[in-house]
Amino acid sequence: MLAALTFPVATRAQGNTAARSSDPNNLSGVWQFAPGGGGQGPGDNFPTLTPWGKAKYDANKPGYGPKAAPGGNDPILKCDPTGFPRILFQIWPFEIIQIPGRILMFFEGQHTIRPIWMDGRKLPNDPDPTWYGYSVGRWEGDTLVVETIGFNEKTWLGAQGQPHSDEMRTIERYRRVDQNTIQFNLTIIDPKTYTKTWEAEPRQIKLKPGVEIPESFCVASEEEEFNRRIREPAARQPGKE
Amino acid sequence: MSKRSSGFWAVITLVLLFCAPGSAHHGNSAYDEAVRVTIKGSVTEFVWTNPHCQVYLDVTDKSGKVVHWAVETNSPAILTRAGWTRRSIKFGDQITVILCPAKNGSPVAYMGSGDPGTKVIFADGHELDFTDKAAQ
Repeated sequence: MLAALTFPVATRAQGNTAARSSDPNNLSGVWQFAPGGGGQGPGDNFPTLTPWGKAKYDANKPGYGPKAAPGGNDPILKCDPTGFPRILFQIWPFEIIQIPGRILMFFEGQHTIRPIWMDGRKLPNDPDPTWYGYSVGRWEGDTLVVETIGFNEKTWLGAQGQPHSDEMRTIERYRRVDQNTIQFNLTIIDPKTYTKTWEAEPRQIKLKPGVEIPESFCVASEEEEFNRRIREPAARQPGKE
Repeated sequence: MSKRSSGFWAVITLVLLFCAPGSAHHGNSAYDEAVRVTIKGSVTEFVWTNPHCQVYLDVTDKSGKVVHWAVETNSPAILTRAGWTRRSIKFGDQITVILCPAKNGSPVAYMGSGDPGTKVIFADGHELDFTDKAAQ
């Protein structure tokens, strides 16, 4: 992490200054994760699971990763909220909107708004568990640091079925290394699920000039119809109707 | 598969491509992304629904048997950025589709931005693929 925090100085010295946003603390715009290690999740190289975490992982039947199989029980196949951090890694873009006291992340996936409080408040002591948690952020130089707690246990961390508990705490770091690129680091602290802190695969997020976020709800009734007409026939074992 | 006529597979062409497994976006591993199949048929329905648009078409094999295919693809937002609209495919259109078939042999398939080479070709020769044109 020390290397990550000192790297932007070197990057700027290498001549990308002309393309940089004039305000290093302004990430406004539409962005999307570039393909990278971990795919649609924080990666498969997670720390050793606790017995509680292993039981939860064993129950998850994902469509991606080492456990991939047709069918499965991925919660988003019912349009359950994708949750955090998984929504970051999806193939759809998101807009960062900076307004006084808050940064809003507006995700195309499930048409979701995630507020990050930037007004100096502390994390609450005992927040209600939610799909996206409760987030507060701050600038450390040109790096946006976001801490989040207060998750429910219903979501996966990624498409590969990585589990988490309601004790999870996440720390995100966003550092704009040139006009079109944010370097992203994610720390996952969840001792109920993992035996040590998980530093996820570092990723790059790319600016998507010209892209607008359209309405894109996931609607359960429509998804049920899709499941009936396509997903279930595609996953059915040969010879079974 | 066992219910299909032996001539069924005569109407399709199997093309092996080297592509990156796991790069597709459809959220399940029911499809064989190392394989491309070409089918040609008459559109019965084009569903423009988030997060998975769908194309349904009737494919007639050499023996005259009609097989109804269901093809999953990307979200309206992704397709819009690739130049599609909800009116791009109409009932009765004669189209050729290059797709990734279901592993279980069902006439169900995927085409989309994660699987290079998948696309729709219309009778007049124009094509629709999944290249993001909005952000170029």
